Amino acid sequence: MSLIEFADFSFKYLGADSLALRKVDLKIEEGEYVVITGPSGCGKTTLCRAINGLVPQFHRGYIAGNVIVDGKNTRESSVAELAQIAGLVFQQPENQLVTLNVEREIAFGPENLGVAPEEVRRRVEELIDMLDLDHLRDKHPHEMSGGEQQRVAMAATLALKPKVLVADEPTSNLDPKSAEAILNLIAELNKRDMTVVLVEHRLDLVSKDASRVVLMDKGRLIADGAPRDVLTSDLCQEIGVGIPKATQLYKRLKKRGITLDTVPLTGAELAAIVQEVKRR
Amino acid sequence: MSFLEVFQYTRQDSVIHRLDPRAKLVMSIVLAIISLSFLSIVPLLIIFCCLIPIIAAAKSLRRWGRSMKGLSVLLIFIIVFNTLLSTATNPFSQSLALTLRLIALMTSFSVFFLTVHPDELSQALIQMRVKFEFAFAMSMAMRYVPTLGREAYAIMDAQKARGVELDKGNLLKRIRNIVPIIVPLIIVSIRRALSIAESMESRGFGASEHRTYMNPLKFRSRDWGVVIVSLLVLAIIMYTRLFIQLPPWALWQLPI
Repeated sequence: MSLIEFADFSFKYLGADSLALRKVDLKIEEGEYVVITGPSGCGKTTLCRAINGLVPQFHRGYIAGNVIVDGKNTRESSVAELAQIAGLVFQQPENQLVTLNVEREIAFGPENLGVAPEEVRRRVEELIDMLDLDHLRDKHPHEMSGGEQQRVAMAATLALKPKVLVADEPTSNLDPKSAEAILNLIAELNKRDMTVVLVEHRLDLVSKDASRVVLMDKGRLIADGAPRDVLTSDLCQEIGVGIPKATQLYKRLKKRGITLDTVPLTGAELAAIVQEVKRR
Repeated sequence: MSFLEVFQYTRQDSVIHRLDPRAKLVMSIVLAIISLSFLSIVPLLIIFCCLIPIIAAAKSLRRWGRSMKGLSVLLIFIIVFNTLLSTATNPFSQSLALTLRLIALMTSFSVFFLTVHPDELSQALIQMRVKFEFAFAMSMAMRYVPTLGREAYAIMDAQKARGVELDKGNLLKRIRNIVPIIVPLIIVSIRRALSIAESMESRGFGASEHRTYMNPLKFRSRDWGVVIVSLLVLAIIMYTRLFIQLPPWALWQLPI
């Protein structure tokens, strides 16, 4: 059985005019790294919220179909229950840090769930170690940079020991360098068997690590498959999704009658292919 | 407003900082009650001399000094006006005692606020049976004050860029100028609150009846020591104050 399963799921926010999600069918297996992308307002955020039950438990609205996460129907389970399966990281790091220092922030989730203090302490130390937060330990959120804040927010989410990390544009408010650091961290987590669902516009940085890319538009899934297949389809241009430069080059060459052996996703891959061609 | 610095937590490692906040609360209240129960110069000076070592033990003497310097204008003001307007027999002596009492009172409470981290304070409240939600609301207010301040400045800049003249005109006009700042600030804050709530919800806020705490406060023997000594001193002072006539040297007044 899949870890996350959307079965014909539709959702309309209370007071909204149109559906935020229309008949979404999606299955995500354990260990996958799924990148979701699409123009703004296409329902990506709603999709993320649906995974950990914020839709429909926190955001009310009209609902059809079901979302099953690790065998639990999100209609019947509380957000707190689902938070231990699907951890959500949001756009604005500022709004995710609610306590006065980093240790407390990481401890906040497990404390809420009534985890024993020794175990909370153990998790805090483990995450501080893993995400390299030791120098921030006593800092007020106000004293940290956006990238550091987002790293702490991620640690705070991981403290609940979720099976899947859902990140909703975690880099949209960050400078390129911290954004890359965060995305590398997510890729690293995926290599340690964490299932990842990531909403991201910077496909340049993520498509090399992703196992799957999902395109959304107007609440619908319009493409779903391996990064190389999805990114070379013409749909991307149609809805205005920026594909990696290397892939763009591949497509232009193809239009002029030159087909490279593989689809490059990064500059490095492109360079390797060009070198291969030169050697021939 | 530099005199408010004594009420602001400073990160230090001292004997006083390591005490349990509840013990410090008892100590501060006892010190304040003692300061309030005398109104003559000599006993207040004695209390004052007892408070200074406590501040020194908290390694905050310099901060305290700076605060008092900031307060000095107000103190002189109190002395002058009290002397002129008082009906007591020795008005100057009386107002000097009043001022000393104010300083003693401020210092007693500053011992608490200087050395208790807001987190410890909310933890103390929780362990004093205040509901977690209330204590947490307090610590969250402290968390978001700087954020809100920055937001207010950003809105002010944005409005100025649009030609709103915020610091021109008479008083009435200036008060009216607050509207284009306060309205967006409220809207932004409500949005932010929703987003914060979403994030807290997905970290299980309020999920368990039995919330645990990573660092529960423990009352150690030294904390008991502080509480017992404080209460003992309070009892002795109250006894002398109520049942024993103070000796003449304790009631000594300046001749003016």
